[in-house]
Amino acid sequence: MFKKILIANRGEIALRIIRACREMGIRTVAAHSTADANSLPVRMADQAVCIGPAEASKSYLSVPALISAAEVTRCDAVHPGYGFLSENAGFAEVCGECNITFIGPSPESIRLMGNKSVARETAVKAGVPVVPGSDGPLESDEAAVEAAARIEYPVILKASAGGGGRGMRIVHDESELLNSLKLVQAEAGAAFGDKTIYMEKYITSPRHIEIQVLGDKHGNIVHLYERDCSIQRRHQKIIEEAPSGALDQALREKMTAAALSLAKHINYHSAGTFEFLLDSKGRFYFMEMNTRVQVEHPVTEMITDVDIIKEQINIAFGLPISFKQHDVSIFGHSIECRVNAEDPEKFIPSIGTITELHFPGGLGVRIDSSIYQGYKIPSNYDSMIGKVIVHAHTRTEAIHRMRRALWEFHISGIKTTVPLLLKIMHSEEFVSGEISTRFIEDFLSRHGTHKNPV
Amino acid sequence: MDLEEIKKLIKLVEKSGIKELEIEEGGKKIRITKSDGEGYYAPQPGNYVPLQAHHLIPPAQASAPATDEAGKAPAEDKYHQVKSPMVGTFYSSPAADAAPFVKEGDMVSAGQTLCIIEAMKLMNEIESDVSGRIVKILPENGAPVEYGETLFKVEPL
Repeated sequence: MFKKILIANRGEIALRIIRACREMGIRTVAAHSTADANSLPVRMADQAVCIGPAEASKSYLSVPALISAAEVTRCDAVHPGYGFLSENAGFAEVCGECNITFIGPSPESIRLMGNKSVARETAVKAGVPVVPGSDGPLESDEAAVEAAARIEYPVILKASAGGGGRGMRIVHDESELLNSLKLVQAEAGAAFGDKTIYMEKYITSPRHIEIQVLGDKHGNIVHLYERDCSIQRRHQKIIEEAPSGALDQALREKMTAAALSLAKHINYHSAGTFEFLLDSKGRFYFMEMNTRVQVEHPVTEMITDVDIIKEQINIAFGLPISFKQHDVSIFGHSIECRVNAEDPEKFIPSIGTITELHFPGGLGVRIDSSIYQGYKIPSNYDSMIGKVIVHAHTRTEAIHRMRRALWEFHISGIKTTVPLLLKIMHSEEFVSGEISTRFIEDFLSRHGTHKNPV
Repeated sequence: MDLEEIKKLIKLVEKSGIKELEIEEGGKKIRITKSDGEGYYAPQPGNYVPLQAHHLIPPAQASAPATDEAGKAPAEDKYHQVKSPMVGTFYSSPAADAAPFVKEGDMVSAGQTLCIIEAMKLMNEIESDVSGRIVKILPENGAPVEYGETLFKVEPL
């Protein structure tokens, strides 16, 4: 087994990886920026190496700094976590060239599925339904007009090199099209260094259903069922749950089969997630694939009792997946709430020192977070400070448990989105399960600003 | 290989920069590995006091100064610190058998090469940002260094 793993990430996912490694007897090295010198992962890892200044481009996104850190500490593998370089095929390649195992899929898989329009084409070849769209990138203004007429408005323009909900624009009719195209091309060029745009039919009020898969280097591929991630604000997920109330057994079988078919088609290994849109008529369409572990992986772990990080490490080492498809089934229901250090009404990042902190606990409550009392939140990174995850026998019980957990969660010194999460958990809309990607927008406009969360 | 010889070998490894020594003689093999002070430790349960960080080298950039730095005489603070701009391996000489770039006590000028930091097989020359006298060279030749770590203390002119 690997002797030492370099964690090329920070925050809660770095801690998650350290925990798995610790249990497996693998030494850990926390590569960190100056801003994270006092972070919990840095204190918990067996070794820590400062690799650069606070700016991610010079630290967590710096391939030479990370490889150098792995070399001087003699790590035999690197876990990239999520975000940062986790879906950077170049980084995966350099790791291979330096004899450091990249804990993730092959550079080829990352390249193939990382380009969103190529991923669409691959899905079509694998016989997986995709959202009606342009066949490949839009080559010209004329092509865009023609595609939109064929697909029918409303349409959505998307950056091929984009992801995580960025580089997108909805177009409602032809009069907006060319202007929107110019805008999204400029955005894509600035954010991803690639102006290539493709077009898809915009499905109104869909559900966002994703299927978790695991593949090993021996050709075995299994799925770990679905997650429903429909509750999003500006394409950023806020609440996720597993399983999805929108899937009956027949639909679940079709969707997991589609995910497995695509995974097998590209010979995928490591953890991966296939994202689909589900419309109100029960039709599903492949949207994109994430070739890494995801933020919301805990809800899947809670219902299947599979440790996804350990499986990733074993797979990277060359071991087969530790179970067979028939060994894993759905047990109970899990919900995750992402907690952000933000004003719960204005969503402006809240920076400061955590003066008081009490995490909820008890049966069926899991906290994935790297904050501690006295911790000063750095301003350089995203605002998510932790995840509250619950598991119970039924969705109703899970909701009650989440309400209790969020009620018990106490934090002073910074503002967090806990009051908003509590409000959602207590709402009829959430309890009813009638959820789509429009949920947050409708919820916030209906409930406006709130002063007294329940 | 008798016990006395083994003891001598252990002392040799301890004192030198050797990390691991393996000797095979007449069918017998001995390997001596230097412990770099890593060890498993149990984090204090339920205790919010921050845990000890097992840094590669004690951090120069942490907000709380490392105890050995805090214990030094205030006179030390007047020295200019040349810090590492990257994580890598510190080399005091341009080549293994060559003389070091600088020694403690040497006068250097701004822009003069003081050492090499190797990262990903690339040798990066590190130049002094001030003119002055080298008071202290901190890392050992061949030691790993992190970003921001103090390499040289220079008494500026």
